[in-house]
Amino acid sequence: MPAEESLAELLARVALRDRRAFERLYRATCDRLFSVSLRILRNESRADEVLQEAYVSIWHNAPKYDAAAGTPMTWMINIVRNRSIDLLRARKSELASTTEIDDKALNVAADSAGEPQRLLDDSLVKAKIAECMRALAAAQRQALALAYYRGMVHTDIASALNAPLGTAKGWVRRGLEQLKSCLEGAGVTGL
Amino acid sequence: MNYLLPERLDRLAREYALGTLAGPARRRFERVLRSSAAASTAVNAWQGRLSVLDLSTAPVQPRESTWRGIERQLFATPDRVASPSVRSGGVLPALLGLLSGRGLVGAVVGALLCVVVLRMQPGIVGLEPQVDALPQSYVGVLLDPAGKAALVASSRRQGRLLTVKILQPLNVPAGHVAQLWALPKDGAAPFPVGVIAAQGSSRLALPDTSEKLFFNVSRLAVSFEKAPPNAGDAPAGAYALIGNCVKVW
Repeated sequence: MPAEESLAELLARVALRDRRAFERLYRATCDRLFSVSLRILRNESRADEVLQEAYVSIWHNAPKYDAAAGTPMTWMINIVRNRSIDLLRARKSELASTTEIDDKALNVAADSAGEPQRLLDDSLVKAKIAECMRALAAAQRQALALAYYRGMVHTDIASALNAPLGTAKGWVRRGLEQLKSCLEGAGVTGL
Repeated sequence: MNYLLPERLDRLAREYALGTLAGPARRRFERVLRSSAAASTAVNAWQGRLSVLDLSTAPVQPRESTWRGIERQLFATPDRVASPSVRSGGVLPALLGLLSGRGLVGAVVGALLCVVVLRMQPGIVGLEPQVDALPQSYVGVLLDPAGKAALVASSRRQGRLLTVKILQPLNVPAGHVAQLWALPKDGAAPFPVGVIAAQGSSRLALPDTSEKLFFNVSRLAVSFEKAPPNAGDAPAGAYALIGNCVKVW
């Protein structure tokens, strides 16, 4: 990943309407942001659509970026996540009522974006909080992974993990509380 | 509901950041986010915590056409100097090469002629409008203190551009800007939309679709500010213009 300082510099120049800086920002970050969208939407075409919308939004909103609110990468990831989640929810009923199987896209997504549980475990190791997060039951960690990496809501998680809705909500809440506690214990503030 | 009670705010912020806050509750909280610095701070904190979950994300390179699509949306034409796709060759540069000099002039004249003919005779290629109705839009008409219409603002329901037409020039005090505000109908704090020109027409890029921004907005207003406000700021003084914002559909 490029140094956050250079991303911050690029973003500052984008805020001044510098097209060259905008392209460099895109080249430096598009692969990570595309991966974020792909793992939620699991469809290359829709992930691509979201990625384009997200960078248009980044261009328009760069002057409003506040370094005190988070790193440039965190800011951009959340633009992509929110748009991906919006599109996922908008298409949810359509997906539920059709039998479209986009095998190719799903295979690509599965290979390149990874599975939620593995992504979570690997990330926790890299953040040096894997031990601390083992205080959670496997189902609690899985619930957190499905929410974050797949954009699932509580009802989806309950269904996927074959648990009552209230239990699934509790797993997610407990997962977040433990994450916060572990990060504070490790002195980690984010990306 | 008071969204800003600390415990409730933290719960909503973490569910929003994670993505489990869904449906109308998510939309309502997004409106709170636009007007509350405390809500933004709470969400930022959770987004920061959750960002560690991206540490193992494996990069996936998008297609080169993605960048060209972004350029088209933002700038209408690709930046030929900056774009590696153009520098490195391909179909597009080859076509641009063929269209150099007189060829390019001829192509531009031909394209303009096509546009003129199609605008005058759209039936030639079956481009007549399918319906005469105005597309689904949000429209605001703002009045001055004398009750005279002074500004019209409009944006398509799913659009991200707001067109503002000034019907009578604004007397913006020196050192100030004319700031457009959206006033939610539930009495929540106004949120800034953008700075508008004192006369003529201007187009504001919106951070989201009109539907999401203006769904709960009943009025628009203009105030004169010393600097463009940030999210969470309130208007510094009285409104110079104010009027209803309506859904046209």
